[in-house]
Amino acid sequence: MSGGAELGFTEHLFKVLVIGDHKVGKTSFVKRYVKNQFYEELKTTIGVDFSMKVIDWDSHTRVRLQLWDIAGQERLRGLNRVFFKRSSGALVVYDMTNGSTLDGALNWKHELDSQVMLKNGRPIPAVLLANKCDETKVCRRNASLLEKLCQEKGFIGWFQTSAKENINVDEAAKFLVKHILQNNEESVKEEEQNMQINLKQQSKSNSTCC
Amino acid sequence: MTNASEPDLLLFSQEYEAKVSKSGQRKNLEFEPLSTTALILEDRPANLPAKSEEEAQRHRQEYDEMVAEAKKRELKEAQKKKKQMKERFKQEESIVNAMVVWNNEILPNWESMRGTRRVRDLWWQGLPPNVRGKVWSLAIGNEMNITSDLYEIFLSRAKERWKSFRETGSEMESDADSADRESSLDLIKLDISRTFPPLFIFQKGGPYHDLLHSVLGAYTCYRPDVGYVQGMSFIAAVLILNLEEAEAFIAFTNLLNKPCQMAFFRVDHELMLKYFAAFEVFFEENLPRLFNHFKSSNLTPDLYLIDWIFTLYTKSLPLDVACRVWDVFCRDGEEFLFRTGLGILRLYEEVLLQMDFIHIAQFLTRLPEDTPSERLFSCIANTQMISGNRKWTQVFNALLKDKEMEKSSSPTVKNS
Repeated sequence: MSGGAELGFTEHLFKVLVIGDHKVGKTSFVKRYVKNQFYEELKTTIGVDFSMKVIDWDSHTRVRLQLWDIAGQERLRGLNRVFFKRSSGALVVYDMTNGSTLDGALNWKHELDSQVMLKNGRPIPAVLLANKCDETKVCRRNASLLEKLCQEKGFIGWFQTSAKENINVDEAAKFLVKHILQNNEESVKEEEQNMQINLKQQSKSNSTCC
Repeated sequence: MTNASEPDLLLFSQEYEAKVSKSGQRKNLEFEPLSTTALILEDRPANLPAKSEEEAQRHRQEYDEMVAEAKKRELKEAQKKKKQMKERFKQEESIVNAMVVWNNEILPNWESMRGTRRVRDLWWQGLPPNVRGKVWSLAIGNEMNITSDLYEIFLSRAKERWKSFRETGSEMESDADSADRESSLDLIKLDISRTFPPLFIFQKGGPYHDLLHSVLGAYTCYRPDVGYVQGMSFIAAVLILNLEEAEAFIAFTNLLNKPCQMAFFRVDHELMLKYFAAFEVFFEENLPRLFNHFKSSNLTPDLYLIDWIFTLYTKSLPLDVACRVWDVFCRDGEEFLFRTGLGILRLYEEVLLQMDFIHIAQFLTRLPEDTPSERLFSCIANTQMISGNRKWTQVFNALLKDKEMEKSSSPTVKNS
């Protein structure tokens, strides 16, 4: 999903899902990230809420993030599964003040991995967000538990975040984008290699037939 | 109608006040340019050399031109304002007239008059706020035979469940039969505060918070097979704004029982896809350029129709415009929901043609807050729900048959 390189400048377009149970703060997270604002009361998301964030990553890379903030209700999950395809990464959110939403987040991750994967068959990068950290603290035991969960369930990492207090919002997103870019580079390299192999094979077959 | 008429009354008196104060203002607006009084032609200060006769003449002429220009502009402005006010008065007058007609002529003879040309035309123009709820109720009907007693029964059941929920922290028997715990109580509570947040009516402590809670709670007890689905709170809220509590519940249950709403709220994905497919048939027919633009941008109708249909436009359109959509939806049925969607696309066609995927998706799920009702309705009127001689129901039924064919043909394939 990357744009053409012009004078060494590359522009990427990535689709990023924001998923998790209802009311864990997905839309608030996105609003904080994109507009740097926080609203106490937001309208329920019914299908998908769309946002766009443009990041000047470095002097020769620009990243356009399409954020797909997906309605959290269990019932609508089947419906919203179709929105997963062709995504490059995911932010999986749970609410630290509501333990059952962590189970929910793990379900969402499972669902995600069954629906989308990278070209090389690996899961797409997903970050676990322990949101609303302004209301409670992660104790050390929980931290090591989360660490372990991340490894088991294949998250690339986790962050304590607060959309309200603007804690770790940019950091978490940046971390995800970094991984997406790495994957992208790798897949470009792999493609180039494949192309070369194909070319070699072609030239071989050409030579044999001539 | 004690509860429901309050906001109407409030609205009405506000409008009336606005009318009075504006009409007073209008008298002052008789075309006397105001700002030009600040434009004064002066001679040079005494400590500077005086203007030559020629220069003074030129300045006088320029000054006159400026004043004339300003007068012309203000005159135009004042005329425009006058015209706007006139239109507004006309509109308000026609609302008052319509109210009389609805109350005195149509409602007493509902069954015989509802289908007449005259009533249908009047209906299209929008229902006056104080008969709106009544007409909605009549048009939606009560196939389910719900009574206010029945509502009380389900409400008290809901209250029992809330009570035990508070005491034990979990729902008792309901756990067994509802696969998703979140389907009801908990979620209703969370969603209510997220229903029309800027109105501050349904939020905790707001006047209709408990009412909305009751109607939705009673519904989940009445239809545990459907339960609570996000989007319902918006529909119930709009009904509560226009009807008394029990009436709102009756309209709510009957409205949700319509085939299209059932398909969506039961999340019958197959069936929903048929609705989207039918919508696309008429989309292509009516707006081929935009249809192709959406196709090439990979923008599928589910991305915006889910939001529009689940909430019956109450989330994405301004509330007053959404109510007008409901008016005709009650008259014409589900077809009108999709016609409205096409009307919205027509209204914003030129803008949408300039946008890429993400901006279209964003735009359609958050329509401009100043979406004009009149222009939208003329766009809807220009949308023909005919595709190659086939009407909406025919197109939709044909698509349904495809589904049945698929179903009935697949086993035979397997057998052979």
